[in-house]
Amino acid sequence: MAADPPQPIDPESYQERLDRIGSLFASMIETATELSTHRCPYRDRLDRCTAGFGCRNQRWPEGKDGPKVCGGDDRLDYRSAWETA
Amino acid sequence: MPELADISNDTVRRELGEFVTRADERERLTDLFAAAAPALQELAAGVIEGEHELVSELTGAALAAGTPALEVMDDGLIAGMAVVGIKFRDGAIFVPEVLACARAMKAGMAHLEPLLSASGIEPLATVVMGTVKGDLHDIGKNLCIMMLRGAGFAVVDLGVDTSPDAFIEAVEEHRAPLLGMSALLTTTMPNMGKTIEAFIDADLRDEVKIMVGGAPVTQEFADDMGADGYGKDAVACVTLAKRLLGVGASVGG
Repeated sequence: MAADPPQPIDPESYQERLDRIGSLFASMIETATELSTHRCPYRDRLDRCTAGFGCRNQRWPEGKDGPKVCGGDDRLDYRSAWETA
Repeated sequence: MPELADISNDTVRRELGEFVTRADERERLTDLFAAAAPALQELAAGVIEGEHELVSELTGAALAAGTPALEVMDDGLIAGMAVVGIKFRDGAIFVPEVLACARAMKAGMAHLEPLLSASGIEPLATVVMGTVKGDLHDIGKNLCIMMLRGAGFAVVDLGVDTSPDAFIEAVEEHRAPLLGMSALLTTTMPNMGKTIEAFIDADLRDEVKIMVGGAPVTQEFADDMGADGYGKDAVACVTLAKRLLGVGASVGG
């Protein structure tokens, strides 16, 4: 049996959802801002480096297979290691 | 009262059990997911795992099966993102994972666009975003894009190392009333000014509002180079975008 045609979306109800998304994301930005003071934002949960540029903290994983990993110790300002040219 | 065991999706059940430790949050999310259709639990799991292709496929399937769009958002996309937010706050995941999850959510939201349009709901505006020429740092820009999309803007992402010509072409092609430029380096900040000059030379400066941001950028610098606004972070970026375009707090036709 074919599904019924989609119901129109009520703008106010949709706006409520956008507000919830905005609130969720704003909290995430707050966390990201605090986190960025001591952990490189390009470093993922598995300590892989996701930056599209060179950084002195990048290390090849064993066997050189796979993405580079972050060798930063999170105690120094990671931004001084980023290559700028 | 529903329990974790009442959630049929293995991934969602495991994620809540492992990462949602605050009693009030676990209770609220358990209630939500236990009542959600299995297909929407699976959709939420896709968002949590940042699987954008899967989320796209599942959102399309849910809508095609007649699931109301708002239910898809509530029980799938937003519910999944709520778990992502908790995991990020509590240090289980970091910015790259959050951006992957936001990308997945966006892939799902894209399926809602025809329905929104048919309902008379259009994006607030189109914003062209990019990191300036010579600069390869994109985290700040990507967080701004996440916020802008979440607020109802359509965003054209030009990525990193964006030339003035590429900004101009994108603004013209998409008839975007707003351009956002990011720079992380003091050495590339002047390229913001050069891009603004390029818009003046192309006789397009009056057609587009230009906002700038990035760690070394200040309001004073933004004023000096002739930008229309400066946002200190991704939250401010949304407020600024709305102010520059004179769009209200809500979406509409």
